[in-house]
Amino acid sequence: MSTPTTTTGHAAVPAWKEWILTTDHKRIGILYLVGAMAAFGIAGLMALIIRLEQMELGMQFVESGTQYNGILYFHGAVMILAFLIPGLTGFAANYFLPLMIGARDVAFPRINAFSVWLFYFAIVLALLSFVVPDGPDIMWTGYPPYSVTTSANTSMYVFTVHLLGFSSILGAVNFLVTVIYLRAPGMGWNQLNMFVWTTIAAFVLQLIFIPVLASAVTLLLFDKYLGTHFFDPTEGGDVLLYQNLFWFYSHPAVYVIFLPAVGILFDIIATMSKNRIFNYKAAVYVGIWGTVGISGIVWVHHLYVSGMPDWIRLGHMVTTLLISVPVGILTLSMWGTLYKGAITYNTAMMYAASCLYLILLGGLTGIPLALPSMTLHLSETSYVHAHFHFIMALFAAFALFGGIYYWFPKMTGRYADGPIATVSFWLNFVGVNVTFWPLFIIGKEGMPRRYWDYEMFKDVQIMGFYFEDFHKVATIGAFTIALGMLLPTINFIYAAFKGKPAPDNPWNSKSLEWTHTASPPGPGNFGDTDVVLDENWSPYEYQK
Amino acid sequence: MTTDAETATVHEHHWEWSWAPLLVVAGIFFLLPISFGFYFAYDDLLMTAIFAGLGTVLLLAGVSIWVHEGLTQTPLLAGVANVGLPIFILSEIFIFLSLFSSYWMMRLGMESWPPEGTPHISNTIPLVMTVILVSSSVTAHMAEEKLEHGDLSGFNKWWIYSIILGSVFLGLSLYEWSNLINEGFIPATNAYSSAFYTITGFHASHVLLGLGAFIAVLIPALSGRTNKTFVSCVSVYWHFVDIVWFFVASQIYFW
Repeated sequence: MSTPTTTTGHAAVPAWKEWILTTDHKRIGILYLVGAMAAFGIAGLMALIIRLEQMELGMQFVESGTQYNGILYFHGAVMILAFLIPGLTGFAANYFLPLMIGARDVAFPRINAFSVWLFYFAIVLALLSFVVPDGPDIMWTGYPPYSVTTSANTSMYVFTVHLLGFSSILGAVNFLVTVIYLRAPGMGWNQLNMFVWTTIAAFVLQLIFIPVLASAVTLLLFDKYLGTHFFDPTEGGDVLLYQNLFWFYSHPAVYVIFLPAVGILFDIIATMSKNRIFNYKAAVYVGIWGTVGISGIVWVHHLYVSGMPDWIRLGHMVTTLLISVPVGILTLSMWGTLYKGAITYNTAMMYAASCLYLILLGGLTGIPLALPSMTLHLSETSYVHAHFHFIMALFAAFALFGGIYYWFPKMTGRYADGPIATVSFWLNFVGVNVTFWPLFIIGKEGMPRRYWDYEMFKDVQIMGFYFEDFHKVATIGAFTIALGMLLPTINFIYAAFKGKPAPDNPWNSKSLEWTHTASPPGPGNFGDTDVVLDENWSPYEYQK
Repeated sequence: MTTDAETATVHEHHWEWSWAPLLVVAGIFFLLPISFGFYFAYDDLLMTAIFAGLGTVLLLAGVSIWVHEGLTQTPLLAGVANVGLPIFILSEIFIFLSLFSSYWMMRLGMESWPPEGTPHISNTIPLVMTVILVSSSVTAHMAEEKLEHGDLSGFNKWWIYSIILGSVFLGLSLYEWSNLINEGFIPATNAYSSAFYTITGFHASHVLLGLGAFIAVLIPALSGRTNKTFVSCVSVYWHFVDIVWFFVASQIYFW
């Protein structure tokens, strides 16, 4: 069963084995991409069902509120845990981080394969919730007491979190060691790609915070199936304990998604504007690491209305507002990188540019939610729902799509750009605005999130329109996005095999993954010569 | 531009692959989520047994392939596991921290501790367990010393001592549990029992994992094959499990 590691004496292996059983970081990256996109597709269908159900008053598409809850569970849990996190820290980090630092693979290739398989089995477990009669109906948050008292199978939720969490922790160990030890000789810390910095920051967050989520859901499992009392106030437990533990991870998880997305944008923007990173050191040491530092002390803003003492709410209001500073520095750096650049507008850059708008909107709409006084009104409304979709679903997903277009020639040796890509970008961009703007408006007027119906608001009018009208517009937007996502999926598959061939460095980037490898890179990435860099080398040195 | 033509250098010129990760994950998947679901959610003992058995077989097969490959193949950079493991342990520390903080949240919120329904729990057993676990760390360290000096049979001897001590520790833990359960002190009894079984059980699961790793080192070592990085990682992990025990025992039994 052993594979020789030298060139001598290895037997020819069937191609399927080299793919399915691979321990190569690039192929594992592709496996992550395929899995994440599949998860995205299925969870996207759930979103369409949610939108269809909300389009009109009354129950049209789902059969019961419980079924609706199950759909919400799947949509939320899978989008965050099986699409965004694995798409960014699984696919993009796996494929490109070793290339960017001049490494031939990650430090622990088999553990890397272990991580991707944990991810796939977690998706299988999530899909099983459609097969069993009692799939989880507890959102992606799984708050007790409902998650303990429900007759649905909470254990599936818990183990999905466990599998993905274990996968991410091992990924974190792997990539941290890789970046510390496997950088090309001569590569100093200030010569790393922004994507490398943001990814290791995300992995630091995963390493420290996932265990807390893992223990929270484990206690939930014991409460439900072994009768323990961690979250049971009648016996000395505390329901708020769960919420605290849960958000102690799940707020930093936002940055686990946000930071690598920002990293991808920096790399796209610098390459497409042929410009240095504006304020590199401030962006890295204040922007990225400041975000990491503050991210662990803001979680109570998810609990403003759960019954926290005022002094804690005020403290977390301050820290929540404070985190806009490093995020603002990152945003300014992205804009500054465009300044006086020679900008090329291709599909990747269109996605990147639209992200500059999405982060502005998603970020600014978060500021009211940092204030307890505003949150008393806005909490649990579709305003919150629209806010986090702008920053997580739209900003991060657009960055990931931009990244796929940007690196497509590296992964396949072919371009994915073309009329279909452009049209689908515009469908997506228009679609997300049409979907989520109405939700801001009705949310401000009280539309609750997570409800399958809004009977109690049927006579409320805003600017002469009923809630139902806004929901109709949002549903039209959702279907526009669906079309905008279907087209590039077909386009990616077509372009991967039949697209226009691309050279090794089609964007004339200075980054190692473009300058030193073939498209697509072969085993060992860099052929026979190891990458060695001098102290003046930078992935963004376009002036010279 | 570079090519991937084959040369005589040590760099990989073919796609690397391995059965081990897939088998281990499949094993874990059947052994934990699936068996747990059948047992607790669907009360189906037959399916529980089938999937637990299947999972165990897959897990053991995967681990043995993994160990074999680890001992026969040259890694990209030797010895980095000695850095990776402490990073992983950092993550473990946070799991224990959140369990301890949950425990103290409950404990400090109660009027009296231990709450009603808690039988007298002897301090003798945890004291003996502490002595045994510390000794097992010492024997593991002795084994490492022997290996440092190239004495493989000495290594095997001291390593087996550690396995025996670790097993006795686990046995004592089970003995204590079964006594308490017979007295009617079960996880559902009260807040203390919840924390007691969760935290000691979580620690015991680490001891079990450590013992598995010890055996994975021992089997090839008996036929003369071993690797210093592998041994020192298992040993560091074991010392970690040992140190955590001080925190577990002091807070659960003595404080």
